[in-house]
Amino acid sequence: MIATAWRVAGVGFSLLVVLAAALLYGVDPQQTMAGGAMIGEDFWFSYEFRTDGLTVLMLAIVGVVSTCVQVYSIGYVRERIASYTALVTLFTAAMVTVVISDNLFLLLIGWEVMGVCSYLLIGHYWERRDARAGAMKAFLMTRLGDVGFLFGIFVLGVGYHTFRISELGSGPIEPHTLTIGTILLLVGVIGKSAQVPLQTWLPDAMPGPSPVSALIHAATMVAAGVFLIARLYNVFVEAQTTLTVLAVVACVTMLFAASCAMAAVEVKRVLAWSTVSQLAIMFAGLSLGTHDGRRAALFQLLTHAAFKGLLFLCAGVLLHQVGSAAFVVLRRYTRRGASRKQLRVTFVTMTIGLAALAGVPGFAGFFSKDSVVEAAWEQAKDGSTVGWIVLVSVCVTTAMTAFYCVRMWLWVFFRTPALAGAVGAFEGDDPMADLDEPDANKLRDGSWLMLAPMVLLAIGAIGLGYTDGVHLNVVIALITTVLALLGGLAAYSLWHRGADPRPVVLEREYGVDPAYQRLFVVPVGWLAKLAVGNDRDVIGAYVRATGRAGVLASQGFRKLQTGNVQTYLAAAVVGAVALAILAGVIGS
Amino acid sequence: MTTALFSVAGAVALIASLFVVTSQRIVHAALWLVVALGAIAGCFGVLHAEFVALVQILVYVGAIVVLVLFALMLTKAPTNPLPSLTTGRSPFAAVVAAVLALILGTGVVLAFGNEKIKPVADGSAQAVGTQVFKTWVLPFEVLSVLLLAALIGAIALSVRKKED
Amino acid sequence: MPLILPLLLAVVLFCIGVYGVLARRNVITLLMSFELMLNAVNLNLVAFDAWRINDATGQTLAVFVITLAAAEIGLGLAIVLLLFRGHGHVDADAARDLAEQDELVEQEKAT
Repeated sequence: MIATAWRVAGVGFSLLVVLAAALLYGVDPQQTMAGGAMIGEDFWFSYEFRTDGLTVLMLAIVGVVSTCVQVYSIGYVRERIASYTALVTLFTAAMVTVVISDNLFLLLIGWEVMGVCSYLLIGHYWERRDARAGAMKAFLMTRLGDVGFLFGIFVLGVGYHTFRISELGSGPIEPHTLTIGTILLLVGVIGKSAQVPLQTWLPDAMPGPSPVSALIHAATMVAAGVFLIARLYNVFVEAQTTLTVLAVVACVTMLFAASCAMAAVEVKRVLAWSTVSQLAIMFAGLSLGTHDGRRAALFQLLTHAAFKGLLFLCAGVLLHQVGSAAFVVLRRYTRRGASRKQLRVTFVTMTIGLAALAGVPGFAGFFSKDSVVEAAWEQAKDGSTVGWIVLVSVCVTTAMTAFYCVRMWLWVFFRTPALAGAVGAFEGDDPMADLDEPDANKLRDGSWLMLAPMVLLAIGAIGLGYTDGVHLNVVIALITTVLALLGGLAAYSLWHRGADPRPVVLEREYGVDPAYQRLFVVPVGWLAKLAVGNDRDVIGAYVRATGRAGVLASQGFRKLQTGNVQTYLAAAVVGAVALAILAGVIGS
Repeated sequence: MTTALFSVAGAVALIASLFVVTSQRIVHAALWLVVALGAIAGCFGVLHAEFVALVQILVYVGAIVVLVLFALMLTKAPTNPLPSLTTGRSPFAAVVAAVLALILGTGVVLAFGNEKIKPVADGSAQAVGTQVFKTWVLPFEVLSVLLLAALIGAIALSVRKKED
Repeated sequence: MPLILPLLLAVVLFCIGVYGVLARRNVITLLMSFELMLNAVNLNLVAFDAWRINDATGQTLAVFVITLAAAEIGLGLAIVLLLFRGHGHVDADAARDLAEQDELVEQEKAT
């Protein structure tokens, strides 16, 4: 009963967000202020809200994805429904706060609430060790970024003498202050959006429920970073150094993440790395510093929300039905296309999602990626180094994306002719691999509650590509298509031969995690041990000594309590004598 | 003359009281108390407080010491010497008492070392009576109530309860 | 006659009384020592009266003190009797009902 109420509330809230977006569509930008107070003597802090095109776009994305996730979760989540639904709703509300706020502190509040919600939701299956560890990791790494974010707010707000977002970027400001402030904000964005070097939390957040992954990856958590830069774009454009840093970070991240995705052997992990990579493409578009670049990045954000949400929901169905999203397990169900036939809707929608991700012409991802490339080309034409770097990186990433999409699609749903039923390349990954063929007939597509959001998002993954008006640059389209085709063909030929070469360095994801372990976790562990030892052996010693001294003193004092009247009397007389002597000494 | 008389009486009182606190026979201690109190009564007499001296002999020697002896009887006090009558703390107690005496004596000598008591007229019960019923009449009445209370209290304390 | 003589006698008597109170074991001897101390006070009263006041105030107070002593000894002996009835002895340092109980137990074990 409570669970039902929560579910109704959750879906209702999401629909409310969609409704708000619909109502605000086309309305003139406006700002509202709701109460406030002076901070010190210079700063006016108030709860200010604003609505403009960006807000409407984000509200629409958040609302639709959140509605899909909430509906899907009705069929997906079986335990702790109330807390789950409440947290998803809070998560959505926090993102809405971020989107509509016109005050940096209000934005920070939403930003931090999202961090907490992601921690709690990733740890939804807290019985599992990896879920707990992943949640903790996500929380700590985003917190690390948030420290920079907070100080960035201070620097920028003091620099501009205002914390209102709509007034930022208009006043005069020292160039150094601007650079420092934006760099600090960028640290927060990097943490939240899982860019290099704070990228490791996102793949480890995969033990969370799949709908939550869809929400985090498509609409809320990681998208908040992109949104923030788009919101403060006029500030960031002024700080050329920051944009260069952002470009470098984005290019490194997209290649890094795409290469990691090429070697991952679990559906959700591949998708997680692809999210990191796609977000980096958005940041690359933003780092160009042009209007086109921003537009392309937001376009990419929109389409990415649709197809990445879709892919995670599909992965959720696989997890739900098979019990695992690892390639090696999924491959056991491929005999005579069993998984394709039994999970027909999932297969079709997942194919659409992967096609959109890979940038197959006609699908949404194709158009949005091309618009980024086009914006980069506009810059590169003028001899901009950043433009060239972005252009080349996005093109290479396109090929890599196509590679891992095709690889995943083929290995999960198709039986390799070359292997003739053997599990093949993934044999070493699972001790259960030599088990008999499982009964594929039990696979079901799931209820319509789960399928309807997937179908809706699949339509989005195709149709959203045409919302921005189709303006194709034929040369660029041709180049990216050829690159994608090359990547896809490479994956196909490898699959056809039943081989899946995975370089060790990629499988270990460049050893970043062990390095962080050695660099940060181990020293912090030492520090913690030191602190514990300090607490137990130094501070605790004082505490214990106090207690022991009290006990000893009382043991001494109770010896005085003999019950012998004469002893008491003697003490009294001695005391009186002593007092008399004292009085004499003082008096003389 | 008075000085010599007082010195003799004082010396007797001192010696007797020393026996009171050191004697190993309780009954002897009580009897030495009689001597000491009598000698002090003599001192009173020398100081021309004859009424007080008489009251002292009447009340102390006649009543209090008799009460003490009765108490000794009722508590089955042995008449043979008891070495354990003085506790092990007696050296310490002696030191404390000596120091106290030193301090008090020094103070007294410093304060009144040169004062003389002038020869006075013989004391009379009339003077005491006048004082009691003029100046001290209220304390006198309170004292009588106190005596009554002590009387009732002593009875209440020493009566045997039925269940005993 | 020097005033110092009765005063010193009073001091010595008082201190003998103190010694008796602290050093004697039998409660009745304690009471006797109290009497000695009270008498030292009386001696002071009378001596000062003879020295300067000379209107029998000190003597009156001395009589009052004697009365008080009578009351005190009456009550004191009643308490002594009660003690003897309850414990079978009248030793001041053996009546330790108010002592720390563990100590008492240890002492009983030792004896």
